[in-house]
Amino acid sequence: MREKGRFMENYVVMKSVIMALALVGAFGYFAKQTGRLYRIMMAVEGDAPKAVDRLGERIQVLFTDVLGQRNVRRKLGPGLAHTLIFFGFLAIQPHSLELMIQGVIPAFHPGWLVPGLYKGYLFAADILGTFVLVGFAAALYRRLVVRPDYLTLGRDANLIILFTTVIVVTFRWINAFMAALPGNGFSYAGVFPVSGMIAGLLGLESWSPQAIRVGYETGYWIHMVTILGFLVYIPSSKHLHLLAAAPNVFFKRLDTEKAMVKTDIEDEEAETFGLGKASEFTWHQVLNLYACTECGRCQELCPAASTGKPLSPKELIHALKVDLLDQSETILAGETDGVEPLMRENGPVTEDILWACTSCRACENICPVSNEHLDFVLEMRKHQVLMEAAFPPEMQETFTNMENQGNPWGFAADTRADWAKGMDVPLMAEKPDAKVLWFVGCAGSFDDRGKKISQATARVLNRAGVDFAILGPEEACNGDMARRSGNEYLGQMMIQQNVETINQYKPELILTGCPHCFNTLKNEYPEFGADYEVVHYTEYFNTLIQDGRLKVTASDLGKLTFHDSCYLGRWNDIYEAPRQILDSVNTGERCETDRHHDQGFCCGAGGGRMFMEETIGDRINNQRALQVAETGAETVAAACPFCITMLNDGLVEAGSKMAVKDIAEIIDEATA
Amino acid sequence: MANTGIVIETENGQVKETSLGVMAAAGSEVVALVLGADPAPFKETLAAHGAAQIITLSATGGDVAQNPDLAALALAAAAKEFNLTALLGTASAPGKDLFARLAADLDHPLVSDCIRVDVGEKVGVKSHFSGKTFAKIKVSADLFLATVRPNAIEPAELAGAGELGSFEADAATDGSLKILEIKADAGGKMDLTEAPVIVTGGRAIGSADNYAVLQACADKLGAAVGASRAAVDAGYADHSMQVGQTGKTVSPRLYIACGVSGAVQHFAGMKTSKVIVAVNEDKDAPIFAKCDYGIVGDLFEVIPKLTEKL
Repeated sequence: MREKGRFMENYVVMKSVIMALALVGAFGYFAKQTGRLYRIMMAVEGDAPKAVDRLGERIQVLFTDVLGQRNVRRKLGPGLAHTLIFFGFLAIQPHSLELMIQGVIPAFHPGWLVPGLYKGYLFAADILGTFVLVGFAAALYRRLVVRPDYLTLGRDANLIILFTTVIVVTFRWINAFMAALPGNGFSYAGVFPVSGMIAGLLGLESWSPQAIRVGYETGYWIHMVTILGFLVYIPSSKHLHLLAAAPNVFFKRLDTEKAMVKTDIEDEEAETFGLGKASEFTWHQVLNLYACTECGRCQELCPAASTGKPLSPKELIHALKVDLLDQSETILAGETDGVEPLMRENGPVTEDILWACTSCRACENICPVSNEHLDFVLEMRKHQVLMEAAFPPEMQETFTNMENQGNPWGFAADTRADWAKGMDVPLMAEKPDAKVLWFVGCAGSFDDRGKKISQATARVLNRAGVDFAILGPEEACNGDMARRSGNEYLGQMMIQQNVETINQYKPELILTGCPHCFNTLKNEYPEFGADYEVVHYTEYFNTLIQDGRLKVTASDLGKLTFHDSCYLGRWNDIYEAPRQILDSVNTGERCETDRHHDQGFCCGAGGGRMFMEETIGDRINNQRALQVAETGAETVAAACPFCITMLNDGLVEAGSKMAVKDIAEIIDEATA
Repeated sequence: MANTGIVIETENGQVKETSLGVMAAAGSEVVALVLGADPAPFKETLAAHGAAQIITLSATGGDVAQNPDLAALALAAAAKEFNLTALLGTASAPGKDLFARLAADLDHPLVSDCIRVDVGEKVGVKSHFSGKTFAKIKVSADLFLATVRPNAIEPAELAGAGELGSFEADAATDGSLKILEIKADAGGKMDLTEAPVIVTGGRAIGSADNYAVLQACADKLGAAVGASRAAVDAGYADHSMQVGQTGKTVSPRLYIACGVSGAVQHFAGMKTSKVIVAVNEDKDAPIFAKCDYGIVGDLFEVIPKLTEKL
């Protein structure tokens, strides 16, 4: 008996020493690793504000997006599994910490202070910790059986599941034995509903105290080795998101609307423009990279990835993170000249990857940690065009045309208002006091189909008695295509020209036809000195219709479906106005395509892709046309001239007879 | 009195029509400079278009027909030898390459891509803003260097003596440019951007084999065959044949669009054609709003009839 007693005393002392060393070692290593990651984040040179605005909203976001897991559950099954794992894992942490401290100081019991509350916590943690296993089962089923191709199925993820399963199972085990151990001032008896059942199953009441002690200690060591191992493993694995996701979400963009980064192209001190190498990331972008957990939702929705292009937003983010970490020594040493460019032979990003993006923003919209993939893509394009003059050769003609004639096709700028000949469409130059400045756009001015849509819009405006005028030859391309193709210089040149023109007239309202014009004028022009109320015609006409100022005659137009334009939907949250218009003019059925609203599938023309060749994989517009044709609708409506062209081409290719109509054309017919 | 040299480009044993246009721009009594090749087969053609002398140019340092660096050096020497006051070429891919080197070697100004030239006054006229304005550029150097846009000037019959000669320049390059390999292009087809006439087939062509119908017509017309993006995407034609915004920008004297709808992306690439003829079954096709002559009908009926007539 005395032998055993001495052994126990020795063991307790030894355990204290080992645990103290292990805790110091593991937490020390963890702190060193994360400290290094933090220093990398602070060492990059990209320009992003560090001040925190709108603090109240950001704190709210922590409740909705982090604790509430709102974005995570947008993919319901895996989202619920993640929620179970998240809360269960969070719940067992205080108790794990208690066990760690008890390892060093056996007499430590936080429960002495407020026993009732602590027992309540343990009771809840014991239940939540069990649900984690349900979450893991679901995750394993997905990884081993379902195996969706957008998911990175690697050792990393499986190892993490193994780690955490062991942590949770031993947690159960420890609790079961803990409750059976003789209490030393704090009794765990009865506080573990699930672990208590395990104790019952094992028949612990009949075990000898020594056996219970051995069982407990065995579980304890397995638990500690695993959890401390996990702690050491986190910073170098994709599970870095455990640390980075919450701050990343806290610092996220709070509004849907966003402007491209305005580069100061006049800055004579600037040595480089755009994003050329890892040391030029902003701190926020580095946080984005740390926060990515490779869930692949972006890849699943990406139109480029879905049509066999080499671009996957997930892989891009991962490759950039790897490149950042590979070059972190040089970055931390402040030797940015030694940092290799991102676009290099065997580098993280290739030309085919960079130029495949349509800037549809499906990736950003779905990202559960609110990453902004486009900020990488568009800034890298900017660098390629402005610094390297490396861009798809077919863009040269388009750039030249925009520069010379202010439109991508190179039609003479003075013929810009020719579509309106013989119509009651005044120019701002003739009617400078017009309340509504209608910014027609290039497609609406020069493309044959676009011109018909403009004519329809003009007729509706006149019927509604709107006091409007257009810019005609004074108008230039809004700059969207140039900027998103990386030609910031050209984009700003056209923006500046339009801003000066618009400011001459100071209209009450700017109405736009094309969603690309809409987005740029609304969200990017204010930075250039033209801050006006900008409205897309779908919203404008919808208001007129709902207010009764525009009388429409509803009729049966047959089965209709609507194709969401990325720049109306995901870029500006306009989903309902065009649908309401359709419902007010059509007595027939309206159906949705499989991919609609915020998960709408791009037509393939955004991000300057309208003017680039698409030679890899399927054509995006063909695939979209097939999705649209599957609805069996007679007509597909859209509200963007580029979507109209792409859908038309795709439907012809698919041999479909489905009609493609612009919302403006449909209103025109309903008000005739 | 202007003493003008013209760099002659040849293809498949014939003088390119674009080079004859450059000769017409210069007027009569020009020195036709043929790089490397034996000028005898071209004698008749060149003489009939105003060549007083036809000179085969070679260099001691190697083959001028293959090495543009050497060709530039040889041309510079020839300019001196023949007391040239003007030296003109075509603003084709090889012409643009060669004349830039030549201008750099001589440290002379170069007026490129002219639509008219006046060799006496040493003035080149260039088109700006898609032809809305014209810039007249006068050069004060002893030697007027200019390239002329393909098809900008039609060939003209001008009698010339056509005296054959040769000149070997004592020139060698520094070896910084080496010819490793020369790959012939697939099949002696005319370069679209230089072709005086283009026959284009759109999606309605239906298959790659059906291009034979257009090719037969093109052969009669001395034309090149083009394709719309839809036809290229459908796999009927190679991308090198694509005319349009994302393909080649062309400005032939005659453009025959067969089964092409005429969407803005296509029109943007051929809108500067002098005469546009459209053949399309769909009378509402946008191309009919843009063409000079339109035929509503099946291209497989219309084109063979046209070929027959030719």
